[in-house]
Amino acid sequence: MKTRSKFITTCFSAALVTSLMATTAAAKPTGPVMRLFPTTVLEDIRETSEVAEEMENNIQDVITRLDLQQQLFVESQCAGADEDPGCERIAKQLGATYLEMLGIMTAKLPDMERAVSNTRNSLEKRLRVELGQNSTPTSLQDALLGTVSNIKTEKDPIALRGRSGVRLSDRFKEYYDLVATRQNGANQSLAVIASDIYLDMDEASHLIAATQEEIGRATLMEQLNQSFGQITPEMTEVVNGVKSILFGETPGDAPIASAPLLAEEMPFVSPLEF
Amino acid sequence: MTFRYLSSLSITLAALLLSACASTQVADTCSVSLKSNLAYSMRMAESKLSTGCEYSLDNYLDQLLDIAANNPDSDNRRQFSDFLVRISDQGVISKRQAKSTYNRYFNVKFVSLTGEYNTCSQTCPVKSRVLADMQSELLDKELGLVQASQDSASYYRADHLLKEVQLVLEATCRACESETL
Repeated sequence: MKTRSKFITTCFSAALVTSLMATTAAAKPTGPVMRLFPTTVLEDIRETSEVAEEMENNIQDVITRLDLQQQLFVESQCAGADEDPGCERIAKQLGATYLEMLGIMTAKLPDMERAVSNTRNSLEKRLRVELGQNSTPTSLQDALLGTVSNIKTEKDPIALRGRSGVRLSDRFKEYYDLVATRQNGANQSLAVIASDIYLDMDEASHLIAATQEEIGRATLMEQLNQSFGQITPEMTEVVNGVKSILFGETPGDAPIASAPLLAEEMPFVSPLEF
Repeated sequence: MTFRYLSSLSITLAALLLSACASTQVADTCSVSLKSNLAYSMRMAESKLSTGCEYSLDNYLDQLLDIAANNPDSDNRRQFSDFLVRISDQGVISKRQAKSTYNRYFNVKFVSLTGEYNTCSQTCPVKSRVLADMQSELLDKELGLVQASQDSASYYRADHLLKEVQLVLEATCRACESETL
């Protein structure tokens, strides 16, 4: 299952880059020519996807073990049973697994932080230059409408995920799907995709930085707690933080697209229209 | 003393009479209740506008849109376009005003998001206001496109466009700000 998942992810990463390149090249010049996804940005996205997947694979087993141990602790009614040797053993195992998770995080988060930060920074620069400085509000609207106008032929509306909690690597798969399935119609504006990825990466950057700040303190606290075999609120907090970054715990945002109706005929075009 | 009293009284009375005449005349000339069919009401409004009632344009437009909403037809959009072109040709309103009014109600694009300076300098500093204006314009588009013209598809496109603009502006303006930090 894991091998298959890895294979799919590898294929997807390669396809993502190819598709983004193809879409960028094939995009009709309806509005201002925008170079939002040059090769450097695509490379950053691909790298972020790989680093995210590696980290997820490393940490998935530990998180699963932590969940099981915590469940066992709760079901055994160990809370408050400090004197029970069985409970003490479970708590120590839980603490050890927690330390193992923190160790993986300490080792892998800097790579993740760098990859996410690179993607965010490169997209930030492209957005600033292409949409912020080289576009006017009028041309920005034209560029977006150039893609929105094709919606009426679509049976399914485009569902932009926004910045919801899903696996980090799956987020990139969603971007891939968004781009790959729209190659012919190019309904989804590259400006929208770039904005979505950028805001996603910006949020992830802040979460990673906050988690990194906590890890050193949390490690020290748990090393001290090992001798007492306690489950601290910090443990739960850090584990939840990791889950929200990597695996997503919150339901996805509602799609931003409303259901478009099929247009029946060519509408009247006024000479007053801009 | 009596003379001064009488003269000031007569001046006050004359002023009151003059102002009463003026307001009565304006009310009678420009105040009109447009209730019949759209084409007829437009002609009546045009006639009023060309005889010194330009300042009542907003009132006439509200009434005309109300008539159109009560008599929805895909042709209403064309009728409004023609009406605005005619009164703009007559010099009642400028071409820019005519465009702005038409597009506010009957176009997918937003009048609230226009401008010739770059997005970082023009839109980002007033992003919240622009988005609030667009939201308000979407309500006018609902009146013009859905209620008056039965064109729900165009309205949904405008609604989708607004949501895309919200996302893109949030990202773009954040990127613009980061340069100044």
